Amino acid sequence: MSGTLDDSGAADSRAGDSRAAVPVAVGAAVGQSIDVLQARSRVDGTVEFALNAEVPGMTHARLLRSPYAHARIVSMDVSAAERLPGVVSVLTAADFDRPGAPHRYHGPVVRDQPVVCGRRVRFAGDPVAAVAAESEEIATAALDRIEVVYEELPRVTTVEEAMADGAPLVHDRPPEVRDHGYADVRLAGVGGNVCTKFQLRKGDVDAALAGSDVVVDRTYHTPAVQHVTMEPHVVLATYDRRACALSVLSSTQGPFAVRDALCEMFRLPSSSVRVVVPPLGGGYGAKTYAKFEPVAAALSWKAGRPVKLVLPRDEDFLSLTKHAATIRMRTGATFEGRLVARDVQIFFNGGAYADISPRLIKNGGYSCVGPYDIPHVRIDSYALYTNLPPAGAYRGYGVSQAAWAYEQQMDELADVLGIDPVELRRRNLLVKGEAYATGEIMDEAHWEALLDKAAAAVDWSPDSRRGTGPSGRLRGKGVAVILKSTVTPSTTHAAVRLDADGTMQVFSSAVEMGQGAHTVLAQLAADAAGIPVANVHVTAPDTQYTPYDQTTSSSRTTRAMGGAVTKAARVVRDRVRRLASELLEADPDDLVVSGGTVFVAGVPSRNLSVAEVCYRTRTGSISGDGDVVTSGGLDPETGQGVASDHWHEGAASAEVEIDPATGKVYVTNLYVAAYAGRVVNPKLARLQMHGSALFGMSHALYEELVFDNGVLTNPNLSEYSIVSMGDMPRHLEVELLEEPGEAGIHGLGETGLPPVIAALGNAVASATGARVRQLPMTPERVLQAMEARGATEERDALRGLEER
Amino acid sequence: MTALHEVPAEGGGGDVKVPDADGRVPVVLLVNGAPHRVHVRTTEVLLDVLREDLKLVGARNGCGVGMCGACTILRDGRAVSSCLTLAVLCEGADLRTIEGLRGGGGEGGEGGEGGGLSRVQRAFLEHRAFQCSYCTSGFILALEALLAVDSHPTEAAVREAFSGHLCRCGSYSRIMAAARQAAGLPSRGGLARGAVTGGVTGCAPDEEPGR
Repeated sequence: MSGTLDDSGAADSRAGDSRAAVPVAVGAAVGQSIDVLQARSRVDGTVEFALNAEVPGMTHARLLRSPYAHARIVSMDVSAAERLPGVVSVLTAADFDRPGAPHRYHGPVVRDQPVVCGRRVRFAGDPVAAVAAESEEIATAALDRIEVVYEELPRVTTVEEAMADGAPLVHDRPPEVRDHGYADVRLAGVGGNVCTKFQLRKGDVDAALAGSDVVVDRTYHTPAVQHVTMEPHVVLATYDRRACALSVLSSTQGPFAVRDALCEMFRLPSSSVRVVVPPLGGGYGAKTYAKFEPVAAALSWKAGRPVKLVLPRDEDFLSLTKHAATIRMRTGATFEGRLVARDVQIFFNGGAYADISPRLIKNGGYSCVGPYDIPHVRIDSYALYTNLPPAGAYRGYGVSQAAWAYEQQMDELADVLGIDPVELRRRNLLVKGEAYATGEIMDEAHWEALLDKAAAAVDWSPDSRRGTGPSGRLRGKGVAVILKSTVTPSTTHAAVRLDADGTMQVFSSAVEMGQGAHTVLAQLAADAAGIPVANVHVTAPDTQYTPYDQTTSSSRTTRAMGGAVTKAARVVRDRVRRLASELLEADPDDLVVSGGTVFVAGVPSRNLSVAEVCYRTRTGSISGDGDVVTSGGLDPETGQGVASDHWHEGAASAEVEIDPATGKVYVTNLYVAAYAGRVVNPKLARLQMHGSALFGMSHALYEELVFDNGVLTNPNLSEYSIVSMGDMPRHLEVELLEEPGEAGIHGLGETGLPPVIAALGNAVASATGARVRQLPMTPERVLQAMEARGATEERDALRGLEER
Repeated sequence: MTALHEVPAEGGGGDVKVPDADGRVPVVLLVNGAPHRVHVRTTEVLLDVLREDLKLVGARNGCGVGMCGACTILRDGRAVSSCLTLAVLCEGADLRTIEGLRGGGGEGGEGGEGGGLSRVQRAFLEHRAFQCSYCTSGFILALEALLAVDSHPTEAAVREAFSGHLCRCGSYSRIMAAARQAAGLPSRGGLARGAVTGGVTGCAPDEEPGR
């Protein structure tokens, strides 16, 4: 069985020079570490997060969740809850089975996720009912009065269980594919618990492996982890029955993805569904598609009142996870250290619902090649349904799992070949003009420079990889280089409006979630329009007014939205030049707009302020539009085509010290570098790199969701560790590689994360001589690996004696 | 019904309070120097009262179990998790939130009535020691609490003060840089790589590009 989401063929034939970045207008703002817009509100407590939102008549919601990973709902009785004073409404699956009711299922690719479960629950935490009440306390009390009788069903929680013969099925029928889904996403290989499969074929892998001088064959594991945005998911939904209109304020990274999901669910035109997004208290992928907007909206639809839902932390842990992955990777090489072939089977644990797995496992699949020239490649990447919370977008988007495997494998290969790991990488890195495994030509390639910088940052030399530190601590160094795609094709629109006083509104649906998106957009708009950045205001996303943007994700905002805003601002600038032409008695092409002033090129004294131009020409406002629409697509059989509009390039190096008695890893030095092309705001760019570095370190050493019979055992920060101030590396350095001239902007939101995990893995292996192939590298796992290595050495030594 | 007489009345209140029909008792909370009369459930935590009744939203719900620090406020000068503090027990206490640092109410406020920020707030702003800033109120108040009792803390003391605070965006280096400035500690940004001594739990400097 297979579903096709795009009938037009894999390769989008849209014409255009999509792979060329919009040239950046460089004036007074771009390249400067100007202050964050509304910075003051960030330190005085007044920033308006969704958590603060209130409207008159608002009710408070709580969700009743399944305690079982997989069960049939035998019966449900909500009457006692409905009778509780202060309860406004109780929503169950029964509410959806009548004329005029909304659809009960949603999902960005396939409609497989119920707003509330009907006959069956598919993970421990699956919502079965929702309560709206006058207070959260009453809503919580009402949950205890809902009687649900479950009959447990056999479950699958690991990819191995999901793929076993006769495995219980998470979904009995293939899921309903969304109409007009995302052009790059297609389903293949659907059947059993396989949600979808991606494959890449290049060359003759079997023959090439057979002909390789050495083959390294290893399996690597990464666990499910959570985003732990400090702000949980928050939704305030108001369904207006008389107007048949829905208004939602949500902490989402995808206002239009949410709007479209709600339009489909309620069968409403897009003009009747409004999604507004305030600043987010962190996103990291957790909030990319519709999550809890459907249930809050459905509850408001039933209750006839506004509904606010704030997820408690332990429920936020059940909202979405980073895919656990099992990666079997075989790499063949010559004795000289040339990569010949790679064969990969990568199994992503998608949890109970598809969410965006079909895209993520594609990206995670083709990324397994890494930034290397490998002639023969075969990749099979699977998304498996299991009875765990759904997995989806997570900073790094499948690449941190892939890179954990391939960058460790590079070091393992280097050890087998007796070649320095940095040197082995250098011999195989892609260079400009070479083709990636997908066949697309690499227009840019900076990995060698990045690798050199990373190696230098830890004073790399073949002899200094391992050593012993104070009090017998084992010291080790590691490096890693990665490539990461961006969602392709994608669509972004922006609009600007210059008002007569010379100030400008930027209408953008880019979500501000701490990355500084609105600040860099103001900088880009200011320079493109030729006005001071202080005169620019960037609106918050509001689907009723701000133009369409695919999502704030995939490290794409500064480049894609920045490009759209730049184009829009240039439209305005050109209009100003035409208006000023007669006033200044000069050809528009001879006029310069800069700093809010129009002047004749070479004659700055012949000038007028932009405001004066507007006043004298009786211009009230000037509007401009801009867009960035990229093209691409991969053949479903071969994985050949264009995977990414452009590529993100990153490298990391790490030095660690390990206590041999406890196995605890101390990070003494961490370095991350990324190719940036052009940096719009250095201070913000570096901050984002810090974030990626520490996310990577946290995944490498601390984070793991632990399930017992499918039930999450550590759903809060008391049992789930993330990196804290006390864990900071003694030295943390980030570097951005820029290019002079017309270099395009390269996003930096994620590039630094994947190489950090792998570099730390390689540093731990250097220090101990023992490789931990399962994340996180906890003290226990490090000790186990060291003990296993000790046992192996002992056995090898004995065998050596016997053979002699 | 909660046995209210077992609740010790702090701050010299002394009276035994009997909850009304809704299970609420009247409490006078001294917040940012002003008394507020509120009716709270005996189980209600201070965070909810501050946010919902007093509309002071600078303290935020993070984990609900006192691990993340996003809900931090000052109680009699000490940084506490308002998500774990029962409002009914706060009568008579001097409560201060991030909003109370404005107008020179905090340490070394500049500009006084003009809504000046405290020295710590200014340092966080200058160093851009935040990304999403959801955690920022907590970090600022933790440092305010430390500086109130130790005007010249060691770097170790500053790190200790931050130990109950998490920043998922990973702005720790900037936060430490801001704290060093506010605490009068020497900046570490200029130190050459490898020259940093001390334990491995040290905090990395954040060298800024020269522009």
